[in-house]
Amino acid sequence: MKGIFFAIIGGGCLTLQGVANSHITQGIGTWKTATITQLTGFIVSCIILMLTRDYHLGSLKQVKPLFLTGGALGAIIIFSNVTAIHHIGVTLTVALLLISQLGFTFITDRFGWFEGKKQEVRLSQLIGIGMMVLGVAILQIA
Amino acid sequence: MIIGLLLGCLAGILVSLQNTLNSKLNAHAGTWMTTTWVLGLGFLASFVIGFIVEGTNFLNLRNMEIWYWFSGVLGVFVVSCLMQGIHLLGATYAISIVLTSQIGFALLFDSLGLFGLEKIPFHNTKLLGVLVIISGIFVFKLDGRQRIED
Repeated sequence: MKGIFFAIIGGGCLTLQGVANSHITQGIGTWKTATITQLTGFIVSCIILMLTRDYHLGSLKQVKPLFLTGGALGAIIIFSNVTAIHHIGVTLTVALLLISQLGFTFITDRFGWFEGKKQEVRLSQLIGIGMMVLGVAILQIA
Repeated sequence: MIIGLLLGCLAGILVSLQNTLNSKLNAHAGTWMTTTWVLGLGFLASFVIGFIVEGTNFLNLRNMEIWYWFSGVLGVFVVSCLMQGIHLLGATYAISIVLTSQIGFALLFDSLGLFGLEKIPFHNTKLLGVLVIISGIFVFKLDGRQRIED
């Protein structure tokens, strides 16, 4: 029960952050929004890291450089997310985001990209994605 | 319209890519080291792009309001919630609920017109659309296979 609560709050805050960022963008522009929100996130995360003493700087060297670059995508993710929200609203933005997110993860797994293990396609996954697309179509009728 | 649709899809692809890349780092460095690194790099990238796009005007913080700084803290709060959720429920269930909550709250925020959003009137058809999407998420996710990282 507690786990469900955390998951619901986490998901709600993810959407809330998109909406808040979209609002902030109107005040100071997209790139400043992306810059300051990640800066404050970084600072708070640093503090937590210090408090938990869970830092392993050496571990950064054990990972191939490619796997260190994911963070840089954050700039473009925030840009795309807030711009999409401006154009098509939150519901449709989140719906498309989730479909392409699950879809791309599915393709990544299917072909074993990024040193992952190749996984077979399951019918349930195709049906799931199909249902999500159908849901978006229904949203558009309304 | 079409730009919004394309950017929504682009965001999802990049989130997926970021999750895949970060999961490798996470396995070696732990959650908070990874989160700190990822946000730090995201900050740097945004700063550089912003400076290139806007020039010195980028450093002008005139229209800044205090609460703008706190949106970023939400991101860290999300990470803690996900850690707890995954710890208590396992990745598959936790992430399915997170995705469900994301789309559910999206419909709520659109209907309320929160944060200066253009209010998009609530419709039963919209609720039906969201419920079909949520069912799709569970059909996709609950196929008995685990993928820890996303």
